[in-house]
Amino acid sequence: MSRTLKFILALNLLVLAVLTFAYPHLMVGPGKLIPGHKQLETDCFACHTSFIGVASPKCVSCHKPADIGRLTTKGKPVLKPLTSTPFHQELVSQDCVACHSDHAGVKRYHLKGYFDHALLKKETSNQCQSCHKSPGDALHKQITGNCAQCHTQQKWTPATFDHAKYFVLDRDHTATCATCHVSNDYQRYTCYGCHEHTPANIRRKHVEEGIRKFDNCVECHRSANEDDIKGGKEGGGDKREHE
Amino acid sequence: MKKSLWSGHVLPFTLLLGLLAAATLVGDYLLHRLNLVWVGRYMGIPGSLLIIASLYYSARKRKWVTTGDPKSLLKMHEFGTWLGSLMVLIHAGIHFNAILPWLATVAMGVNVVSGMVGKMLLSQSRKHVQGERDRFQLRGMSKTEIEKTLFWDAVALGAMTQWRKVHIPIFIVFAVLALGHIFSIFLFWGWV
Repeated sequence: MSRTLKFILALNLLVLAVLTFAYPHLMVGPGKLIPGHKQLETDCFACHTSFIGVASPKCVSCHKPADIGRLTTKGKPVLKPLTSTPFHQELVSQDCVACHSDHAGVKRYHLKGYFDHALLKKETSNQCQSCHKSPGDALHKQITGNCAQCHTQQKWTPATFDHAKYFVLDRDHTATCATCHVSNDYQRYTCYGCHEHTPANIRRKHVEEGIRKFDNCVECHRSANEDDIKGGKEGGGDKREHE
Repeated sequence: MKKSLWSGHVLPFTLLLGLLAAATLVGDYLLHRLNLVWVGRYMGIPGSLLIIASLYYSARKRKWVTTGDPKSLLKMHEFGTWLGSLMVLIHAGIHFNAILPWLATVAMGVNVVSGMVGKMLLSQSRKHVQGERDRFQLRGMSKTEIEKTLFWDAVALGAMTQWRKVHIPIFIVFAVLALGHIFSIFLFWGWV
């Protein structure tokens, strides 16, 4: 390699080195910062610690955990909070980058809208309604708390509901929800939604057995199994089992 | 049968370069489609290691090391740099953020092309000049006459060998920029 070529090469690399130190956000930064941190764009070490990365203590020096969701870093009330309830106060540890990323190039690797509930204190993580609103449908209206009975903390759906606790959906009862729960009202049900059970034949069968009160089917019938019929409380004062 | 310039040199060169471009696009598409973009994020590491390993040939060629068959090492150098470049290209295609790593990628691309062009044109030129020299010798021409006749061919051959002068400086640019990129990652990123 000639001396001239070596000189040109060294000069070019020197210019690039100078540009890197002068404009680090353009030369080595992984994309733009979030609007709130725009003024920190050329001051990498405001957030980064050499060879360690972004350490939470640096974040906390401006964003006091007790104020997050309530007050801005300047001490003014947050007018439009991103969540209905401040929850940063309930986190088990301060690991800001577990959820947050400021550079556009890094943000795309974070799962949007995903929050790891394991970061919450145990007593808080079970109080779903303190952060989440219950859906307004008939099924959820009647339920307060104990969301984990059907839902997980990873995803809202798929949700599991143990219908067998109320009535076993066997092969003769693989109907749509609306067949029994008319108008999406899961608080009520009817067994007369299919042609098999008509008011007339149900009445006839029960009267034959001397059962006068048979309007609440699942009180005695928790499945279609005729050998598994429990006597009802209001079976006409005559608690009996079918034979 | 004597291979034509097209089938013997231009076509393989075009195919190899086209394959690199196509494999980059397909790799990038698949990673996005399969939601495996994070894999591309780390592909720069094995890619760089492959390129570094393939530099053993360069050291062997300059006799900095003495073990290893140069011919096999050249094959390894060609394959290692091609595959390593593919990985780095996929890694680069995942995100377009900073200027320094992109300059490194461009330098790497020029380096790969210069290596391939140099290799293929150089071998073709050498074969051509040697064939002409043999032909003239059989005709009974003197050495001076042959050198006179083949003057421009020899000049062309000299020009072809210039690729080395491009290949090495561009490699240095690539190496320095890539090191700058790697250093910045270690400096700012939390690996632990």
